[in-house]
Amino acid sequence: MSAVVHGVIALVPDACTSCMICVRECPTWCITVESHAEQVSEPGARRPRTVSVLDRFAIDFGLCMYCGICIDVCPFDALEWAPTIDHSSASRDGLVHDTERLSGWRMHE
Amino acid sequence: MSTGMQTVPREAWHETFAGLVSDGFGYLDLLTAIDRGDEIEVLAQVVNPDGAELMRVSVRLPSDDPSLPTIADLFPAASWHEREVAEMFGVAFAGHPDPRPLLRRTSLGRPPLRTTTVLAARVAMPWPGAADPESAGKGARRRQLPPGVPAEWLSDGPR
Repeated sequence: MSAVVHGVIALVPDACTSCMICVRECPTWCITVESHAEQVSEPGARRPRTVSVLDRFAIDFGLCMYCGICIDVCPFDALEWAPTIDHSSASRDGLVHDTERLSGWRMHE
Repeated sequence: MSTGMQTVPREAWHETFAGLVSDGFGYLDLLTAIDRGDEIEVLAQVVNPDGAELMRVSVRLPSDDPSLPTIADLFPAASWHEREVAEMFGVAFAGHPDPRPLLRRTSLGRPPLRTTTVLAARVAMPWPGAADPESAGKGARRRQLPPGVPAEWLSDGPR
């Protein structure tokens, strides 16, 4: 058995390109991604490149069924299982974890 | 384990299972339904534990009149399965000993597992995947739609 249980889902914000693949594949519609486009000029490049910058990534664990499809489909490994299972909450809003809380669930090697 | 399969007309449903019971198929493995659009398919699987044989029997019922005689008199375990199929697919089981809904409080409203039943949550909530950061500021290219959800269910879809 794997050491990593299907606990909470953690986010690696630096790896996320806000490509929306996880949001669109999620069967329960529990992921929200907000982002904006920025122009990046690189030395030697003819014209500036447009990149998406992540503003907010949120998972509503009140809707999530822990299927892990988002983790499987992410091409950039920006989502991963973390072993925590005590992320229950006394309020409905407390089950919505945004960028900071999701990245805090990461396991440190 | 050898597996047999047969499709029977609705009139032969009960007598088929009565025959299977006397042939030793005494264990009900499964009873469920599939919405095929114009028809509701009810499917049951029985097992003969001695001969390690499995028989799958299915019947096609018209969607506008899905009724079937109960087999709960032959297999008491069929009672719960038939109650579930009744409330989820709207199939009426004639002669059922206890036709109360099994999982839902009432059988009011449309049967939830029929494909013509609109999922209210999909209508009420905008799809989060509709946001398109790649074409932000460039005008939307192709409108993204959630997979597996009919367009007329969507809150911003065609009416």
